[in-house]
Amino acid sequence: MSAQQAIKVENLNKSFGSGDTFVDVIHDASFTIYKGELVALVAPSGAGKTTLLMMIGCVDTPVSGKIWIGDEKVYDNKWLTKTTRKIRREKLGFIFQAHYLIPFLNVIDNLVLLPQANKVDEKVAKTKARELLKYFDIAEKEKAMPSQLSGGQNQRVAIARALVNDPEIILADEPTAALDSARSIDVVKMLKKIAKEQDVAIVMVTHDERVLPYCDKIMKIENKKTVFEDVSAVK
Amino acid sequence: MIHLAKEDIKHTFGKFIVTAMGVGMLLGIVLIMIGVYRGMIVDAEVLLDDLDVDIWIVQEDTLGPFAESSRVHEDLKNTIKAIEGIDKSEAITFQNIQLPRADKKVRVMAVGYDIFGEINPINPQRLIAGRTLKHDHYEIVVEEKTGFKLYDKIKLSRHYYTVVGITHGAVSSGGDSLVYISLKDAQELQFSYSNKRIYSDRARGIYNKDSHMVNAVIATVKDGYSIDEIADTIQKWHHKSVYTKEEQKIVLTRNLIEKASKQIGLFTAILILVSTIIIALIIYTMTLEKMKEISIMKLIGLPNSTIIKMIVEETLLLGIFAFIFGNIFSHLIYSKFPKRVVLEIPDAWMLFTIIIIASILASFIGVKKVINADPTAAIGG
Repeated sequence: MSAQQAIKVENLNKSFGSGDTFVDVIHDASFTIYKGELVALVAPSGAGKTTLLMMIGCVDTPVSGKIWIGDEKVYDNKWLTKTTRKIRREKLGFIFQAHYLIPFLNVIDNLVLLPQANKVDEKVAKTKARELLKYFDIAEKEKAMPSQLSGGQNQRVAIARALVNDPEIILADEPTAALDSARSIDVVKMLKKIAKEQDVAIVMVTHDERVLPYCDKIMKIENKKTVFEDVSAVK
Repeated sequence: MIHLAKEDIKHTFGKFIVTAMGVGMLLGIVLIMIGVYRGMIVDAEVLLDDLDVDIWIVQEDTLGPFAESSRVHEDLKNTIKAIEGIDKSEAITFQNIQLPRADKKVRVMAVGYDIFGEINPINPQRLIAGRTLKHDHYEIVVEEKTGFKLYDKIKLSRHYYTVVGITHGAVSSGGDSLVYISLKDAQELQFSYSNKRIYSDRARGIYNKDSHMVNAVIATVKDGYSIDEIADTIQKWHHKSVYTKEEQKIVLTRNLIEKASKQIGLFTAILILVSTIIIALIIYTMTLEKMKEISIMKLIGLPNSTIIKMIVEETLLLGIFAFIFGNIFSHLIYSKFPKRVVLEIPDAWMLFTIIIIASILASFIGVKKVINADPTAAIGG
């Protein structure tokens, strides 16, 4: 059985400014990422990693091209839905450098917030949230406030939040940037496990070459284009 | 169901309550200002209600003794009494005097009336100690806030007056306590001069002919007669200005306190505006403090309506808490004010409505910030 498509991008272009200030960031990028894959997005600073992440995250608008999330075409030289926020809410999960949990909500409420916005029944949402907390071994912390948790515990809650709405794709913006080598590898291993077990595609922006061997694919931005590099080359 | 506003307030409850208390104090002052205005109206009507007469006859082309100088002859009361339909009529005087107390002088309005007459201005329900006037001279009934006690001696002009009664809540439209003296004493105080002044006047050929003047004649009308018709008759044939009780009320509540009420109204409006601006600034600051969280909420896909609901609910809760604190504050301090402050429930509800509207308006600035918040601001640490 072939893997299901999670993200498909065709001839994606992004530039900023005009005239003397014109900057071409992404040029004619085309790629497909499948469910169950952990893809590292690697490029030098300023090469357009976050811009590409935000475009496939339906946050930033491309100049032209096509984007599919799952089987649904969401962008064809213009957004095809009235609001991209609904796509993000229903199909995407986000993980950031820091945990960025809502500080005035406890752990369980941080997880339930998004399903609640998706009109998921509160009991169902809480059950799902508790399952995830158990999965990440922090079930006993559901009533704790983020300020009462350690950095590692908060990061696990943040990952659980990214999974709570059963997304097709998780977009992670340098999730290991603030961690030491051993913990970085632990987090990436965990993301890989999640990708497989939850059947979700994870695109992870990273600068950290130590974590690349643990990814399924490495996507680089070279000369404004995206290219895949063989993981075995970095092992 | 997660209530973001409630959870956010719980998270910073102390700060929120202190902020609400601060705004509440402003609102409390607004309530006090409205109460001062209400108090002025109540004060203005005390004397009119205590006298409860139908007609006021005053000097021609004047608004009467409460608004301007008015002098009519004392015996006018007999002429008025003879008019068909008049039940009772009496002469009355009003004058502001200073009662000398050991520590300071107390400004009061003295009401002079004929103690053997038909109309007694002292409302028996206000008398909390002693009695009304019984003797034609040198007795005085004072209001409790003057600080005098029964049988105290008060020197007025050349004589000592004995306090024979104490009232509660008897005040003039200006908020001064009312004291009551006999008409003869009042005329002497008002129209008689010191011996040296009399010598001086006589040397100029001036003799004191005004001692039987009063400031107004008041009258009641028998049942079955039209107050307005009798008032018109007196005005037409006796060359006096005549006011019914309602007209006199208008003179007192509109003419006399009009400027004061406008002043209070303006202060109140400014305070409400300041409160609105302060609430708006507080909400703006609270929103700014949450911009990172708001960006994250927008990035992960929470709809604007959820975030805006949080901002508006927080603003409304701030307004409601401030209103509650304002009420508590105003009820704690209103009795400390030297003049009457009347706190009325309809005024509080009116202020509540204004504050709710003001809070919604104030939340717009925070809402605008939310709408303009960039979700990508959450990226990049």
